[in-house]
Amino acid sequence: MSGAGIIAAEALPGFLLGLVGVIVAAPLVAAAVVGLGGFARSPRTPAGIGLAVSLVSTALLAWAVSGADGVPYEFGERLGGGSLVHLDGITAALMPTVALIELAILLVAPRRFLDRAATGRLLHGAAATFALFATAHPLVLVVLWIVTALPTWISTRGTPGGRPAARVFAIVMLAALACMAVGTLCMLADPPWERGCGLVGNSGGWLVAIAVLMRKGIVPFHSWYPALFSGAPLSTALAATMPQVAAYTAVRLLMGHADHGAGVGAELVVLSQLALVTAAYGAALALVQRDLRGLIGTLAMSQSALVLAGLAGHVPMEINGAFCVWISSGLALTGIGLVAWALESRAGPLVLTTPQGRFTDAPAMAAFFLLFGLAAIGLPGTLSFVADDLIVSGSLDEQLHAGLLVIVSTVLSGIAVVRGWFFVFGGPVAIDGPRHLMLRRERVALTALFVPLVVLGLWPAPLVRSLERAAAQLLGVPVPGAPLPAPEARGVSREDAPPYKPRAEARGLRVEAEPVSRAAWSARSSATRCPVAPAPGLLAQDAPRRKPEA
Amino acid sequence: MTSHEILTSPDAVSTLVVLQLAAPAATLGLIGLPALAGRPLAERPTTRLVGGGFAIAFLAAVGVLGLLAARGFAPVIVHSGTWFAVGHHEATVNLVADGLSMPYVCFSTGLCWLVNSFAGKYLHREPGFTRFFILLALFGTGMNLMVLADSIDVLFAGWEFVGISSALLIGFFFERRNAIDAALRAYTTYRICDVGLLAAAVVVHRAVGAGDFERLFGAEWPHSTSLVPAGTATVVALLLVFAALGKTAQVPFSNWLPRAMEGPTPSSAIFYGALSIHAGAYVLLRCEALLDAAPLARAALVVIGVGSALHASLVGRVQTDLKSMLAYASMAQASLILVEIGVGWRVIPLVHVVGHAVLRSLQILRSPSALHDRHELEAALGGHADFGGWSPVAWLPARAQAAIYRIALERGFEEMAVMQVVGPIVRLLERLAAAERAWVAWLGGKRHGRDGGRA
Repeated sequence: MSGAGIIAAEALPGFLLGLVGVIVAAPLVAAAVVGLGGFARSPRTPAGIGLAVSLVSTALLAWAVSGADGVPYEFGERLGGGSLVHLDGITAALMPTVALIELAILLVAPRRFLDRAATGRLLHGAAATFALFATAHPLVLVVLWIVTALPTWISTRGTPGGRPAARVFAIVMLAALACMAVGTLCMLADPPWERGCGLVGNSGGWLVAIAVLMRKGIVPFHSWYPALFSGAPLSTALAATMPQVAAYTAVRLLMGHADHGAGVGAELVVLSQLALVTAAYGAALALVQRDLRGLIGTLAMSQSALVLAGLAGHVPMEINGAFCVWISSGLALTGIGLVAWALESRAGPLVLTTPQGRFTDAPAMAAFFLLFGLAAIGLPGTLSFVADDLIVSGSLDEQLHAGLLVIVSTVLSGIAVVRGWFFVFGGPVAIDGPRHLMLRRERVALTALFVPLVVLGLWPAPLVRSLERAAAQLLGVPVPGAPLPAPEARGVSREDAPPYKPRAEARGLRVEAEPVSRAAWSARSSATRCPVAPAPGLLAQDAPRRKPEA
Repeated sequence: MTSHEILTSPDAVSTLVVLQLAAPAATLGLIGLPALAGRPLAERPTTRLVGGGFAIAFLAAVGVLGLLAARGFAPVIVHSGTWFAVGHHEATVNLVADGLSMPYVCFSTGLCWLVNSFAGKYLHREPGFTRFFILLALFGTGMNLMVLADSIDVLFAGWEFVGISSALLIGFFFERRNAIDAALRAYTTYRICDVGLLAAAVVVHRAVGAGDFERLFGAEWPHSTSLVPAGTATVVALLLVFAALGKTAQVPFSNWLPRAMEGPTPSSAIFYGALSIHAGAYVLLRCEALLDAAPLARAALVVIGVGSALHASLVGRVQTDLKSMLAYASMAQASLILVEIGVGWRVIPLVHVVGHAVLRSLQILRSPSALHDRHELEAALGGHADFGGWSPVAWLPARAQAAIYRIALERGFEEMAVMQVVGPIVRLLERLAAAERAWVAWLGGKRHGRDGGRA
């Protein structure tokens, strides 16, 4: 039974707000305990409890939000179309993923790495990331961009030999943060989604798009991605890249407004095309990497670009596929990275120029590396198979070259992962020490990352249905339970609000739904949440089928 | 309802069809999970579990074959529901029991069962014993999934399982560099050719709204007819032919096959003598209606098949080791099977597949002891045994013979031609990666660092 069915409708918003509070506060409380000197010998314990509480709360949040009618829950001040706390299908799908990634990183972190300072940074970063995924408020997003980037920079700078990577990261992030801040202010001053938007608004849209390109490591701003993986502790690199903060920002600031104004559509096209090139380029670079960290960095760059390429596409299926890639690549690449970190902390740096022969002394790690690797490249029975299927079909629906680049990226990533596995674990048996047995906490963390990949791969329908609503919200297509764009939420007075036009239609897609009348919209717009009648033809079961001719 | 009616009811057939898939999949879990937990099963339980899974699948397939025969081979389609659906894109899990899939499952699971028994002894005390059987169970599951598929999504899933298990078994002895290189070469070839199947799946979804074969072609195999326009049929058929080239080791994607013999003998027998090498032929047989509607694809199949058969028979004659010779012999027969499919035959290729697979598996399984047998034979004969065969090349002038011999020794210069294409791409990527490292080193203020500067 869904959360909306068990919890009274009046109590549900309060319950959700409380959950968001717990999700953000639990890591902060744990950080405070660690910072005050509690559990000095084992800061992992309070940190683990804090992140576990967050994980359970995110699961409850997902259960409650996805069980409702699909309309977002919004709390607090609204600005530029986004409220302080914004919970919808995207939040429901991504928050548990992010929480699981953070908890797994904490569990696998080697003891010598996890001192009080490092634990504190990890927890602060996690809290900031959770907060970012719960908001759509532009100014709060800007602040949280800074807060999420800081622990990464401090941790990288403090790592032996990590200063060059920290410098590269700092250069790109400072530029990105400047673009983001200025762009957001310009967009708020002259909203590009309003009629008659001027130069300031358009410039704001472009600046935010450039900030997204930088933060996501899209060509030509991609160099910090592999550099961070090479120079920073893998936990730092994974925590900085796997949640995909910039993709979330693009969803909230750029995609949500794409139907209205002149400015933002062009940025999305540029984002999409550059992301496609990055996806293929990153996968190609992964083929010739000389060390494992470089391989993981370039693969992460490629997969992250694939998410943006899908999100910026015009087809619901492609956006759905992008969300699936977001979740599957996040879990799978975190798994690969954590296995690599566990092995590296025992056996030293791992190069790919010659086979390293690590299978015999680390068979469990070899098995997990292979499983996560295959789960990252579309093994049937895992979520990435569904993700690849959707994003390839969606991108081919959109443009032939987009589909081909996605296919190239998928093919090359697969070869790179299998090459990486054979070169790390194959080769003459390494005889430099004892067998590297996996610790129980490592095994638990990796299993916890892998199980959702398989469960969602074998039974993807609920997730895909939920994400279909999220995709419809982004495109402005009224599927059951999806919200209409509330006029006041766009910064437009109710009287001046344009007649409702599905975003998909504005992009030239065929929409088989009756436009909602102005009167009905006005009636609903007094409330934040506004249920919509089912739109025939947009649900999977209603989709028109061609009957085979006899 | 009488017992005969119960047995021949669609529900009974459906249960048995699902069992053919579930039995090897269950054994995969039963031996894979303890191994993942660091407590692999002992050798005997491992072989018994995997053998039991294949035995159940084999008996279920024989049962369904009997029931189908009683029903006049009318196909039974098992609708297991929709896997996922978005908009017009619907992935269904449909399985089919008909005159093509059931004989194929009988022979593939039967062969897997036999090879399982053989490998239990052959790999006794081998360090990768459990790994081999996990991969064998994965292969069996994938093969049954592919053969029983009644939608292109399910077929693609099975196809991928077959590909990855094949690559991992080629690299089974991964402490040897040759095994790693051979596995990577095979996987790269598979992955490139898988693009054909992936693209075919997308085209099918766009054409008929779902991946179901029922919407692609009607009537019963081998007399099914295409339900899509000729243009769509041609595109899909060409993509399927491209997909088949990799697994069937056709020119120019054939040079992975002799190297694939780096794997253990039982897996070589079942993959490159029997099942994996015929996977492409099976897919083409399943989609025969599309080939019928696409003369261009059939012509391409015949041309490629004839060329590959000539190439394989020529190169195979100069191989100096038995397994390479057998690999080229397999390739030649697989090429002829593709030619048969291309010219429009249906039952003959199926019979050819089964006959060739059984014979070649036996030959490969016997190959480790063939040298020993030869010595015994020569000792019994009391002299050198001449097994030299007849070749039409002997009729050619000496210069032509020398030229052909050179071509055969160089394996038709296929490797060289492929490297002419792949080499520059790899060199370009390496230069780009070096430039990236230099740029990052400069940006990071590291002028002459560990990874900076010249790579």
